[in-house]
Amino acid sequence: MYLAQKYYSQRMKIFKVPPINSKANFLRRMSESCGAVSLSQSQSLPGVAGGSAMDMDPVEFTLRKRLPRKLPRRRNDVYVNMKTDFRAQLARCQKLLDSAGPGPREICIHGLGLAISRAINIALQLQACSQGALQLAANTSTVELVDDLEPEDPDEGETLTRTRNNSAIHIKVFYPQ
Amino acid sequence: MPYYFCTVSSGKSFSPSRSLWRRENVGEHDLDCALNPSPFPGLPEGVLEMRVKEGSKIRNLMGFAMARMQGEGAEQSGLRQVVFVGSGRAVTKTITCAEILKRRLGGLHQLTKVRYKSVREVWENREGGTPEVTVHRTVPAISILLSKDPLDPQEPGYQPPEAPMGLWGNPTINALLLCATRSKTRF
Repeated sequence: MYLAQKYYSQRMKIFKVPPINSKANFLRRMSESCGAVSLSQSQSLPGVAGGSAMDMDPVEFTLRKRLPRKLPRRRNDVYVNMKTDFRAQLARCQKLLDSAGPGPREICIHGLGLAISRAINIALQLQACSQGALQLAANTSTVELVDDLEPEDPDEGETLTRTRNNSAIHIKVFYPQ
Repeated sequence: MPYYFCTVSSGKSFSPSRSLWRRENVGEHDLDCALNPSPFPGLPEGVLEMRVKEGSKIRNLMGFAMARMQGEGAEQSGLRQVVFVGSGRAVTKTITCAEILKRRLGGLHQLTKVRYKSVREVWENREGGTPEVTVHRTVPAISILLSKDPLDPQEPGYQPPEAPMGLWGNPTINALLLCATRSKTRF
């Protein structure tokens, strides 16, 4: 578990999620309630106006994005990201393709989210460098990502998790037989 | 007129700061739109083409596409095929739209093609003085064909409709398995 914790903390992106009773939401709710209900003196809490069932959440959340699920990695799988230099990734793919050994000479390039366009770029560059001998086959898929929402003070509440979907592309670069 | 040619590997050779430069609404056009009309072989002419731009709202795109596809099934207005086309920064959004449509309507066959697209942009200086700059870029573009009719499985880029729950219940694993089974290498 130590390794997982280490990569988790390195990869962590922290965002502050504003609470529901932040200023922007307060103004929005006030304008809604002023239109629907006449102003009365008894209304002291802005959140209660309009009869909406929004719970007052005084706690700010810290959003941590979890790493995507660890996918199996064969020898000729290349995962593309935005941190490593483009030319370095291109050179690594080229080297793998040249020295794939016996058997079918092909590699598979994977990209998630913003790295999709970079993966396509790498694949097309490889095809251009090979003078048209390579062929590309692209598949797309959806990856589920999980976010942890931790409250500011740890004793205040629970850690919520939110899942969202992201797009991924898998491009197979191969020499046709 | 100054002329820049942006190479693909170092795509940052002309990245103007938006406060000083403004892109003219000349309508940067695809330079080879006449050369490759459609990357899909044997596609009928009247297929719905959804052009996804960087600022498109997914809600609007999906509303339109769903209405057209679900309309009347196999009749004139209910379409059987739709193509999503996007380039540059809109590639991710294109893939997202296609994935959402696949999820809402099951049983769609998919064919994905990637290529380069040449684009001509004209930037003018906000403060004036400097003449306009014409930039030629080649950006990656993607075209995704989704069809209710079966497509040729031997075509590179073909993806069958997903099994309701794949081997490990994950669409990504299914896509990887597809790559693996094509090449007959073991996982």
